[in-house]
Amino acid sequence: MIAFIFRRLLTLIPLLLGVTMLVFILMSLAPGDFLTPVKAQRDIPAELIQAVQSEFGLDRPWYVQYYKWLGNVLQGNLGHSWAFKLPVADLIGQRIWATFLLSLCAFVFSWSIAIPLGVLAAVYKDSIFDRISAGLAYAALSIPEFFLALLLVFVAAQTGWFPMGGATSIDYDYMSWGGKLWDRIHHLILPTLALGVGSIASIMRIMRANFLDTIRAEFVTTARAKGVKERVVMFKHVLRNAINPLISAFGFAFSGLLSGALMVEIVLQYPGLGQLMYQSILREDQFVVLASVMLGCSMLVFGNLLADILLAWSDPRIRLEKNK
Amino acid sequence: MRVVNSARIKQLRMLLLGGLSVLFSACSNEPVSERPEPVVAPIPVDALVVDFPKGTYGANVVETIPGDIATVNPLVNESASGSAVIGRILDGLVTLHPETGVIIPNLAKSWDISEDNLQYTFYLREGVHWSDGQPFTADDVLFTWSCFFAKKTNPETGELLLSEDGIPQYRYNSRATFGQQINGKEPLVEKLDDYTVRFTTPEVYAPFLLFGGGEEILPKHVLQQAFDDGTLMDQWSVETAINEPWEIVGLNMFVLESYRPGERMVFARNPNYWKVNLEGERLPYVERVITKIVQDVNSSNVAFAQGLTDFETITPDNVGWVKRGEERHGYTILDMGPSSTTNFVWFNMRPGNDVEGLPHVEPYKFEWFTDKRFRQAISYGINREGIIRGVFFDRADILNGYVSPKRKFWYNDSIRKFSFKPENSKALFTEMGFVYEAEKLHDMKGNPVEFTLMTNSNNGLRVEMATVFKENMAALGIEVELQFLDFNTIVTKISDSFDYEACMLGLGGGAPDPFAGKDILMSGGRMHFWNPQQKTPATEWEARIDELMLLVGRYTDVEKRKKYFFEVQEILAEEQPLVFLVSAKDYVGYRNRWNNIEPTTLGGINWNMESLWAEPKE
Repeated sequence: MIAFIFRRLLTLIPLLLGVTMLVFILMSLAPGDFLTPVKAQRDIPAELIQAVQSEFGLDRPWYVQYYKWLGNVLQGNLGHSWAFKLPVADLIGQRIWATFLLSLCAFVFSWSIAIPLGVLAAVYKDSIFDRISAGLAYAALSIPEFFLALLLVFVAAQTGWFPMGGATSIDYDYMSWGGKLWDRIHHLILPTLALGVGSIASIMRIMRANFLDTIRAEFVTTARAKGVKERVVMFKHVLRNAINPLISAFGFAFSGLLSGALMVEIVLQYPGLGQLMYQSILREDQFVVLASVMLGCSMLVFGNLLADILLAWSDPRIRLEKNK
Repeated sequence: MRVVNSARIKQLRMLLLGGLSVLFSACSNEPVSERPEPVVAPIPVDALVVDFPKGTYGANVVETIPGDIATVNPLVNESASGSAVIGRILDGLVTLHPETGVIIPNLAKSWDISEDNLQYTFYLREGVHWSDGQPFTADDVLFTWSCFFAKKTNPETGELLLSEDGIPQYRYNSRATFGQQINGKEPLVEKLDDYTVRFTTPEVYAPFLLFGGGEEILPKHVLQQAFDDGTLMDQWSVETAINEPWEIVGLNMFVLESYRPGERMVFARNPNYWKVNLEGERLPYVERVITKIVQDVNSSNVAFAQGLTDFETITPDNVGWVKRGEERHGYTILDMGPSSTTNFVWFNMRPGNDVEGLPHVEPYKFEWFTDKRFRQAISYGINREGIIRGVFFDRADILNGYVSPKRKFWYNDSIRKFSFKPENSKALFTEMGFVYEAEKLHDMKGNPVEFTLMTNSNNGLRVEMATVFKENMAALGIEVELQFLDFNTIVTKISDSFDYEACMLGLGGGAPDPFAGKDILMSGGRMHFWNPQQKTPATEWEARIDELMLLVGRYTDVEKRKKYFFEVQEILAEEQPLVFLVSAKDYVGYRNRWNNIEPTTLGGINWNMESLWAEPKE
């Protein structure tokens, strides 16, 4: 097992090297650099631009910049953000919890609704409930995330039931502990909905299809023939077998925990990592972009790794080591 | 079936709850160390008495700011929202009169200028204290200027470290480091006593009073250590703003109380502010300013229109619908007349070849662009009133020259004006030898007159203006192809590659001294749009502008400066290197609960923030 995890983590190294190099090439190909908007300001002396350019190494070709950056990263230094004059790690640390909280809420929300709904839709196949849930699922799948977020902003503006963005109210600092908790939850409702609704639909459909597949399997017929209670058949035999593909989906969802909320954060003005990433890309604040990309990549690898381990745990037929 | 272990579930639930509350507290960004008790110093002897009726203390202001800040360090900051925030906290020795635009005392109660116009002696207000209660003295002014001009030295020998070209290197490269140099030389700063500072400029340099005197003063007692150990540029970052906002010590009317990135900042009144009302009570009346960070100007305008914020600058394209809420939400919108923003079109007049040896501009087109009759003809052909009606719904004014009429003092109204006269355009084209063939204009060599105009795609108003421009040109028989590009691409094209034909852009206010435009107007300037960074002036009129601008910088006599700058405006109007279009109007709004509101064209709605008051809400 440990050897397997180790091997998996080793694949991260070439992946990160490749991806970061690609980012460096793309950013050098993109028009302008971090200092371009500064050049368009009238009262910035040309000497300052030159001085800062050589300070940041922006006057060198991309591979020299990449080499220097790589050297720093190997020593554990992700670099300084040019715009914030702060270590990139600190900057990401400021925002990471807000995004993690939002993604976690959306994750818990969508999975805890989708799995029971999928199972029910499969058990009561072709019933009215199945039809309605299918219809709603298609509707939810066909609305893009950002559009749903826009609709929710509109609802919030019209009804006044929900705050129109942000993560806390203006008077948050003067609230009691309970008030603070409620205030945060109140602000989380809309982004959670916007982020979660799409995945409810897809997970529910996957769950239903798998469940139906497994219901028709021979071991289910055997179990029923043995006289096992229907409830036990469904939840012990069918569910456990039907859930495997969802564990892979879980790994994928895990990888999006920190980088998947970008659109929703921007539309709903939620102060998380996505906003920071988006601003950094617009500003071409190189090292922040690189760190965000590396974070996303690593999360993908970890997510898949986690899914594989969970799969092995839930399905005894799967063995991670080849020779055992 | 397995029996569910209820104890285990309880354990799990506890774990989950615990985890959640850790998460909540982790993203609440609570300050790490303790906030110190505010120290209130006595009212300064030289306190400035503000002439407004007495108000009630204790109201809070709610407002929005478009775009988050990246730093609170004035030496590092480059963004407009950063400047707005820093401008709340820090202050300079002099400032501008919000109505007349004349330089008036601020932290300096008065100043002298020597006979030879080289020495400026500032007399500081006595008894002024920083927001943390420490006294403000001449040492702070000296410290601020030493931050600009400190050199890199060898830490062991103390010798100056030189660059490859043998020039001393600056320790902290900031905008002021180079911006405050006069013709490449630094002004000299001396302390005469605790409340007197003398600056000596290397040559006569009129804008120094405003540019040098307006520089925001930094607190020596807070930043000296960072200056010594070389971490000055890393001070007052957003990390400081989150964890120790009280470290950001200032002399202006507010201090930062808390900051949440991407969400909001809260300013509290500076307990040691140096302005008092007529009864000698310390200002401001406002207790706190809560500033919500929003994405852009539009969302900021929306928040005001919903009655959520107290003060707002409203863009001309939003005024119509924002005005409809005046009654319902109890606010007032005022038309402040022309803004200081300008919009213009210019043609690429860059001679020479690019890296591949091809000319920047097709030679026959270069010939048109460098002929002033061509540029004048284009200017006559633009229906500016049409733009104002069609694009701005009458919320803009015609702009005839480089200076917006908002800058009353420097605005020359007698320059040549190019009103909409297509027949004049055609006459000029005929004079140049251009001919019409099947309604299309051709030059004397038979080339059809066509060009590409680029502008930035993210400015909706500018895109619409470009469309009207294209129609106007079509009426003259000129085919204009429009290119809507990303802003960075445009900046690269106009400052590095010069690979374009014509461009439409705009300029924001900028500093209110004519010399602030030297990089645009002088031929060696970095933003001399039509042909930047020339070694020697390409034309006689550019040489004349260079000469006049130097005179504008050299004379401290305002009337002389005005005369020279008026001539610059006349030359620009005659030559039309920049074809000016329109200037949008400024609109400001405020909730009706505020008192002592006296908006001015230069100062906007809250220039007298210290005197504004409202009944505090429960």
